[in-house]
Amino acid sequence: MENTENTQHYLTATEAGLVGCRACGTVAPQGTHVCPCCQSRLEFSETASLQKVWAWLVAGLIAYVPANIYPMLRTSTLGQTSENTLMGGIIELVHHGSYGVAFIVFFASILIPIAKFIAIAFLAISVRKPANLGNHGRLVLYEVVEFIGRWSMIDVFVVAILTALVQLDFAAAISPGIAAVSFALSVAFTMLAAQSFDPRLMWLAENRVES
Amino acid sequence: MSTQEPAQLNISPKRPSMWRNLSLVWLVPLAALLVSLGIAWKNYADRGELIYIAFENASGVVANETTLRYRDVVIGRVEEVGFAEGLSKVSVAVRVDKDIAPFLDEDATFWVVRPEVSSRGISGLSTVLSGVYIEGAWDEQAGVAQTVFAGRDRPPLVQPGRAGRRITLRTEDGRMITEGAPVLFRGIEVGRLEHPRLTVSGNSIVVDAFIDAPHDRRINSATRFWDTSGFTVSFGADGLSLDVDSLASLVSGGIEFDAVFEGGRPASSGAVFDIYPDEATARRTAFARSMAGGVAISVAFDESVAGLSDGAAVKLGGIKVGEVGTLTASIQNESANAEVRLVAKLLLQPALLGLPPGAGEEDVLDFLQNAVEGGLRARLASAGLLSSELMVELVRLEDAAPAQFDRTAEPYPELPSAPSDLPDFAATAEGAMERISELPVEELMAQAISTLASIEALATSESTRQAPAAAVALLEDTRALVTDPSTRALPRELQATITDLRAILQDLQQGRAVEHLTAALKDGAAAASEISSASEELPALVDDLRTLAAKANSLEAEELIRSVNKLMISADEVIGTEQARALPASLSAALDEIRATLTTLREGGLVDNANATMASARDAAQSVADAAEGLPALSARLERLVARSEALVAAYGDRSNFNTETLDVLREIKSAARAVSQLARKIERDPNSLVFGR
Repeated sequence: MENTENTQHYLTATEAGLVGCRACGTVAPQGTHVCPCCQSRLEFSETASLQKVWAWLVAGLIAYVPANIYPMLRTSTLGQTSENTLMGGIIELVHHGSYGVAFIVFFASILIPIAKFIAIAFLAISVRKPANLGNHGRLVLYEVVEFIGRWSMIDVFVVAILTALVQLDFAAAISPGIAAVSFALSVAFTMLAAQSFDPRLMWLAENRVES
Repeated sequence: MSTQEPAQLNISPKRPSMWRNLSLVWLVPLAALLVSLGIAWKNYADRGELIYIAFENASGVVANETTLRYRDVVIGRVEEVGFAEGLSKVSVAVRVDKDIAPFLDEDATFWVVRPEVSSRGISGLSTVLSGVYIEGAWDEQAGVAQTVFAGRDRPPLVQPGRAGRRITLRTEDGRMITEGAPVLFRGIEVGRLEHPRLTVSGNSIVVDAFIDAPHDRRINSATRFWDTSGFTVSFGADGLSLDVDSLASLVSGGIEFDAVFEGGRPASSGAVFDIYPDEATARRTAFARSMAGGVAISVAFDESVAGLSDGAAVKLGGIKVGEVGTLTASIQNESANAEVRLVAKLLLQPALLGLPPGAGEEDVLDFLQNAVEGGLRARLASAGLLSSELMVELVRLEDAAPAQFDRTAEPYPELPSAPSDLPDFAATAEGAMERISELPVEELMAQAISTLASIEALATSESTRQAPAAAVALLEDTRALVTDPSTRALPRELQATITDLRAILQDLQQGRAVEHLTAALKDGAAAASEISSASEELPALVDDLRTLAAKANSLEAEELIRSVNKLMISADEVIGTEQARALPASLSAALDEIRATLTTLREGGLVDNANATMASARDAAQSVADAAEGLPALSARLERLVARSEALVAAYGDRSNFNTETLDVLREIKSAARAVSQLARKIERDPNSLVFGR
């Protein structure tokens, strides 16, 4: 019991023979399948949860591949049509000297999604194989991932707004590419993966180690 | 002691099977994977063929942007711009649509479309904004697909698959032939020239031309091509003529064609045509169409054939019946001293000789043999009055030296020749020129100049200039006299006098002193006889007046001009005088003076005045004549009066009072009669005075 030396022992719901509802927080005796308060399912399955996390994560990864390969934007200016992929657009922005914008796009479209993949994957693995990052650290990581997930959609929003605004026929026209859809899907899948992760699994894992 | 409990089994729950608890959520990444793979596979499957086009340079070609178009439809996109082996060319890799790729066989051509401004117009304007693109052209038949092509620098003049015919044109002067120059048919562009190239031997230039359908049907063996580039300036009897074709052909040259005779045979594809320098030359070659079938004969000339050239006409009675083929010199070895003779090969056309269609060589030779026996000879003749070109003339000479038509001569049957009469012509011309040069032109000119100077002197003299004015004044005076009321009133006064006489006679008749008139009878008779004689002379006077009037009538402008002419003649006679010659010559001044004088004459109203005067004179003469006609009647009446007076005198006898009265009356009658007589005599003496008042 190395951990107990530092922390006070706390009673978990599982130890108390109870199960908590993730939606409304009501506790019910173990074995209850439906929350007596909000009627949501009181399921606590380690494998099912992890499977969901991994499945959504894989789907998000798969969707992220075409999002980078295919063009995000198709810009036509005076008869000249150019297509830009995510990375291509960033490079072009750098060439134009817009380092700030380039960094924002790079941060939002490349760094954050990849960081999310890694973070979710780390959390999922750490359930089975406790890492040296403490419970608190992992919880913060989980909260950050969940919070930041929605902001990854900023790229898709930009594309949607540009497409709606810049339709000037021959002079200039912007239309979305396949990558926009793929990217949106990828972000959505990643968010679902984060949602599917049950933080209780972290304590469960700790308890298992304890016992 | 507690019961021994069985050892607690260390039961570990069976590890739940991974597969049993497999969540349905796994379908999502599976579907995503499938969709992604599907898209990837479809993209790969739909990916077009990659072809490589080699260009000299790739100006404006941008990877992933420049498109490949066929009939202006995008069918591909440049993927890469690189170099061919050895950096000799630029290799452009183009991804072409899959369904188009099979058509890219060996006839496919590619070129880069750029904005171009040329004499034929502006093309490729759309590429100014959108950048260049690669255009391809190929026919509609799918062949053995290729992946490596050689691009062209310029658009092909004839795109593959276009209906028409390709012919080859040959010329010796390539300066007026440029690639892309139009081929015109009656001014309408029906084709284009392609790139001119030298033949292997280097002595002529061939250029392919593509004639669009359906105009290519006009190409047959009767078609001739000629150069219409630039402009033609010709100066001839009808003045200066400037001939300019279309602007495009002015700038880049052009070839026009037309059928120069009817019924040409269809030309085979790839036939070679010559380009003639101008239309006239091309049309002249219409004759050459049948020269291939001509019958070759030879003529040996003893004189110089300088001026006779290949293609010169052979004429029979002025009609072209053939042309000169080649000119060679041959050595006659008959005698010891070898003689060089100039042999011309003539190609005669049977049809043009008047022989029936289908006549062969034998027929022509038979005809010639007969003709030679009849005196037909070949001789050189001048092709034109002023040119030194010669032609061969077949003439029938009556006094020709006997000669034979040598059918067996080698290499061609030989027609005897006759000496030409060319030197005669030259001599004649020379003689004519000599005669012209001998003409005393200079003396003639000197004479003319001196004459004109004399005329000028005369015309510029004051008296000459005043003459018309004097004449005008004279005529004015004459008219004034004639139109003078007193002159006009003269006949009327005569009439009045006669009326007075009649009144006196009336008084006499009524008077009672008739018987006392006897003494006065002699005087009355004398007076009567005088009047009678005067009245006899009156018709003569009238005649004179008539002639005067006629003369005056006929005196018109012509007379005047004739008089002026006479004046000129007189003036000419003055030439002899040294003074006249010494006068400075000024032709134009003299003529101007004369013209001015004549104008003055005309403007001075001389003619009009003369006419008016003559008319007045005629009127006056008529009045006089009318009056004179009354004179015989008057004199007759006087006679009767006198007779009656005699009777009265006889009746009354010598009665003093009455007699004296009667005598007074008779004296008055006598004086009246004398006045009439004097008037009549005066008119008789000088009829003109009545007219002219002098």
